[in-house]
Amino acid sequence: MTTVLEFIPDQACSLAGEVMARSGQNLNACYQCRRCASGCPVGEETGYVTPDRLIRMIVLGKREAALDNPLVWKCVSCFTCGTRCPNDIMTARIVDTLKKMAKEAHVPPLSPKVAAFHDSFVAAAKRLGRLNELEFMGRYELKNTLAGLAKLKFSEVIEEHKSQAGLGLTMLRKGRMHFRIQKVKGRKEFKRLIKRVGERARGLSRSPASQE
Amino acid sequence: MELAYYPGCSLKASSEIYDVQCQRVLSAIGINLHELEDWNCCGATSASKTDDFLAIAMPARNLGIADASEYPELVIPCSACYSRMLVVQKMLESDRGLLDEINGELSSKVIGKTKILSILEAIQPVVKSGDLAGRVTRKLEGLKPACYYGCMQTRFPYGVPVPDDVENPQGMETILETLGAAPLDWSYKTDCCGASAAVNENDLSLMLMSKIMKDALARQANCFVTTCPMCQLNMDAYQEKVRATYGIAQSMPVYFITELIGVAVGLPPKDLGVDRHFVDAMELLRELNLYE
Repeated sequence: MTTVLEFIPDQACSLAGEVMARSGQNLNACYQCRRCASGCPVGEETGYVTPDRLIRMIVLGKREAALDNPLVWKCVSCFTCGTRCPNDIMTARIVDTLKKMAKEAHVPPLSPKVAAFHDSFVAAAKRLGRLNELEFMGRYELKNTLAGLAKLKFSEVIEEHKSQAGLGLTMLRKGRMHFRIQKVKGRKEFKRLIKRVGERARGLSRSPASQE
Repeated sequence: MELAYYPGCSLKASSEIYDVQCQRVLSAIGINLHELEDWNCCGATSASKTDDFLAIAMPARNLGIADASEYPELVIPCSACYSRMLVVQKMLESDRGLLDEINGELSSKVIGKTKILSILEAIQPVVKSGDLAGRVTRKLEGLKPACYYGCMQTRFPYGVPVPDDVENPQGMETILETLGAAPLDWSYKTDCCGASAAVNENDLSLMLMSKIMKDALARQANCFVTTCPMCQLNMDAYQEKVRATYGIAQSMPVYFITELIGVAVGLPPKDLGVDRHFVDAMELLRELNLYE
């Protein structure tokens, strides 16, 4: 498939500026050498979207394409792209920024399970200050189950539960599952910190990424 | 040597055996660990995909607690925790405004004086001084490990000084050679296992793990050695599925570096939880007469 990207200055400036500010990455430094693309371990899963092409989309102001493509959801955050980039552009961090922007723009995630995973992780970690795997996985499976049921994908829901239950039982047998709840004692202080996170997210303060 | 110690959430749950190993094995080679008071979750990679400030605030509280402790150095065995804490320390060093804002919420302020060590960096001095070699009672002869570093021991999302070669790290090899093992040269030592993708993008993760496994087997490795609890759990718990999906005949135990040091200095494998792996990890030790 040939994709022609057209340069429209107004679109380009606003998107590239936002992504650069939030990710702390200088996209203008990319000269398309494609070293990132050749090292990307998920390259065979992301269609034509390689890290260099993602950067090009953003620079050309293709907001929809940038927020809604397989690389944003298949990226495993291995940081190979940025480590090898001759211009120190960490595409994995751009991807993180795009995930957040996609959520804010209500673009449905191409991989709902990936989004559910990170949301559940953060929700569980924020609640008690330490991550309890059972709480986290419980939240995650609940999200998936509800999403699956809403779309009437019953067999997918059953398969998911079967495979997770299998892993869970093996972990139990090997003594690798724990039921003791871990939490921070300094809950007040921790909650204060989390409150500040919420205020920040509602735009009551500046974004830290822009300062990097 | 006395070090502050941040176990992180994994080491208090599914990878509890790594916590036990770190404490017992390191103490057996002269490194005493002191768990940080009331540490919290580092946020791992999930926080950075959800909220930039959260991803900095969570590790920052731990950094403050570490700076208030009496120990100048902090060892963090989990690669994800190590990476997050190291990165955030560096970020705060270069952003005074952000540092002040976060410190305003913390009872133990971040000063930035604590030196953060990976498990390999913590062990390195004992290797260099010859102490480790002197304590070996059982040489790991016949062990041909593929040292698997994964992503987060050498690659970081922010400019921090990297303690080992980025593309071809040698930290584990140096330790294992001291113990009498013959670590192999191979191509996938810093490749990604998929990490959380094992749960949320299983097929993708199986594909990544199959490549790692095939290369290690082609080089005639008889085990993997890891430092990262996520890599260990994935390569261990999903190995059967990887083999079935990709037609790989042979299985391979996936050791933590700590349990092999433990075995070499004469600690009983069962006390370290070597019998609690998914892929049998006792059998190879028995075959090589490293344990009876």
